[in-house]
Amino acid sequence: MAARKILIVDDSETMLQVAQMMLAKEPYDLVIARDGAEGVARALETNPDLILMDVMMPKMTGFEALRALRSNDKTSAVPIVMITTKAEAESIETGYASGCNEYIVKPVDSVELLAKVRSLLGD
Amino acid sequence: MHPSGKTYSDRMQSSPPSRTSERATAYLHPGQLWVSADSYAVTTILGSCVAVCLWDPVTEIGGINHFLLPSFSGEGIASPRFGNIAIKELLDQLAHLGSQKHNLLAKMFGGACVLEAFRQRQHHLGTKNIEIAQELLKSESIPLVGHDVGGQRGRKLIFHTDDGTAWVKPL
Repeated sequence: MAARKILIVDDSETMLQVAQMMLAKEPYDLVIARDGAEGVARALETNPDLILMDVMMPKMTGFEALRALRSNDKTSAVPIVMITTKAEAESIETGYASGCNEYIVKPVDSVELLAKVRSLLGD
Repeated sequence: MHPSGKTYSDRMQSSPPSRTSERATAYLHPGQLWVSADSYAVTTILGSCVAVCLWDPVTEIGGINHFLLPSFSGEGIASPRFGNIAIKELLDQLAHLGSQKHNLLAKMFGGACVLEAFRQRQHHLGTKNIEIAQELLKSESIPLVGHDVGGQRGRKLIFHTDDGTAWVKPL
């Protein structure tokens, strides 16, 4: 069985590295994008099994990217986890209304991230 | 009716509680607890996470947690992000404020399985979170008088610490 593909969308190089390190020991194929618009493009191009999406990003915010992905048949059912700051978490209701499946508040904890990823991938 | 003679409402109200504006408000993030003898409307958003709300009708003290993972197994840092720790800490803080465990009533919310494909699976994260809360409340002999758990959708929850009422909105 091919490794499951996770798309990580974040404009922070540090956050991308942290997420990659946390998932490095798992049998996942990691794809990265550095803003919301690139995230949507990479999702359509690579058909990920799960997307980890930051909220505040240039060009297109995570919530805007979420709405774009949900409105496209190719990505409408892909599990999407929003990665928020504490302040953004208070408006995560907007994210759920736009179709996010879960949210994680920064700083991201590896145990929590892995548990949510495994659960959403059905592992 | 609770032995105290006070009625504990476990109705899910269809619109936001009207007295919320008379209460101080607080937002509860994942992994946190809120316990108070004062009147608070505590809001939190739940996906697969679970919130346990405890209320003492004698002292009218209430508290709520919001945990993400069922049990601390020694990996990572022991914190209220884990259900077994979050429930114990909630009980400890209520006791510290003068609440007696035998008076407590519980409500539980959350534990959604947001993906249709996994709904039939017995052990996705949301189910595990619900199970640990049920198990711990049972072991502490705290009656569960209201709940809205499982299902497919996230939830917005508002809990009132002073009268134990809760309002849930599916997201």
